[in-house]
Amino acid sequence: MDFIPLIRRYGYWLIRGFWKPRYIRPNALFEQMTHVGVLALPSVAMACMFMGIVLVMQGAYQLQQVGAIDYVADLVGVSMFREIGPLITAVIVIGRSASSITAELGTMKVSEEIDALEVMGVDPVRYLVMPRVAAMTIMMPCLTVIGECLGLFGGALISSFSLGMDPYYYGSRLLQAVFLRDLWSGLIKSLIFGFIVGILACYRGLNVEGGAEGVGRETTNSVVLCLKAMLATNCILTALFYFF
Amino acid sequence: MSNSTIQPALEVKNLTRRFGDRTILDHLSFKLMPGETLVIMGGSGCGKSTLLRHLVGLMQPDEGEISILGKEITQMNESQLNLVRTKIGLLFQSGALFNSLTVGENIAMPILESSYVNPSIADLVVKMKLELVGLTGFEHLKPAQLSGGMKKRVGLARALATDPQILFCDEPTAGLDPVMTAVVDTLISDLTKKLGITAVVVTHDMTSAFRIASQMIMLFQGRIIAQGTPDEIRRNPDPILKQFVNGEADGPIPLRLSKDDYLKRLLQA
Repeated sequence: MDFIPLIRRYGYWLIRGFWKPRYIRPNALFEQMTHVGVLALPSVAMACMFMGIVLVMQGAYQLQQVGAIDYVADLVGVSMFREIGPLITAVIVIGRSASSITAELGTMKVSEEIDALEVMGVDPVRYLVMPRVAAMTIMMPCLTVIGECLGLFGGALISSFSLGMDPYYYGSRLLQAVFLRDLWSGLIKSLIFGFIVGILACYRGLNVEGGAEGVGRETTNSVVLCLKAMLATNCILTALFYFF
Repeated sequence: MSNSTIQPALEVKNLTRRFGDRTILDHLSFKLMPGETLVIMGGSGCGKSTLLRHLVGLMQPDEGEISILGKEITQMNESQLNLVRTKIGLLFQSGALFNSLTVGENIAMPILESSYVNPSIADLVVKMKLELVGLTGFEHLKPAQLSGGMKKRVGLARALATDPQILFCDEPTAGLDPVMTAVVDTLISDLTKKLGITAVVVTHDMTSAFRIASQMIMLFQGRIIAQGTPDEIRRNPDPILKQFVNGEADGPIPLRLSKDDYLKRLLQA
């Protein structure tokens, strides 16, 4: 299945789904949201918390040389909301969930389950792609919010223990430095990442050929493609948010 | 009503499909009337499964036309094709069951997805179809818990779930024991004779083929080399057909090389 027809059919079923929610398959959507989102939470939480710790340590190393150690909370807050939170969350979800989606759909392709759906008159885009892409789009911002909170917590933890910074002081500097715009820009990035990663993972899965070897190859290709697409999109969106 | 007013259930005209330089299907033409069973025979790699995939719209030919129940499908878009597909069923060679669903969910899927049906009605239909294929009580098992033969029977039950007008089968008896082979053959015969379903069966099980067929075609190197009723096929003197039907290792179908050709191939760079 080519990429443009896949996008077109996804858009068609999304619009139709607003008139007849039965087409969206709510049970499958919730199942995918659990698989893509809820089960990825521990990994996302841990990764973001560690990133928060690393940000403080790396930031403190430079900032104390210019006597600006107090700005470490500002650094963590703005970076985490605008960049690190969405980026790290997307990387974890790509490694975990996008690869799983590609492998699952690829296995279905090589065992003719996709063909079986088509012969039954069931559009594989509606039945398989829609719940997965929708779940990825919904859960990515949710995971990002939780990841960002834990990243800030990690930063507060290391600031308190290593730098001797009062946690209340850390929190008040955070509130002064971070604006709503920083939060929104990160969440919009997450939303777009979720859609792009979901659709690319499904696209690679539906085009697997060559048996088990093909599934393995395309799963790897899918992760690499999703990472590249996510990083390129991040670059474009960061520029857009910077200039506008 | 005379035969001339009854339209064929399936009609193929000059069907051609090429992959690069190789012509897999070469100007095939045949038709099948409602209630008949067409058996498509041929050696491995002759294009039987490719032909079947064209007939159900999974592949598009390079040339030719395919009409199912009077509707020409080669120029249809996906939505139009899906409407035609609600009237057909396909049994895949491996069953192609959905591994994440139970047996019952697999069979219910085409019923629930084709239109709104009360789940309890779908459950009833599932039980009826499982009874038909001799797997009553298996609805809660997953495909991974079934043997190959059982998977195939569930696949057949799923293909019959929406009471299709045309049933396509890709090697329905491959991997089944002789008793179950006879059961499946009897089932297909009953469906066509008693319910008027039209069947297209790809097989190289000659016993089954002669048991169920009302029409047979033999493919060889992408062409139809023989076509007719089972009696006509038995009487056909074509040597390729005779070698295939009788299951002979030696003959015009070049499966074994001569000594000179074998040495030549070994010594080729």
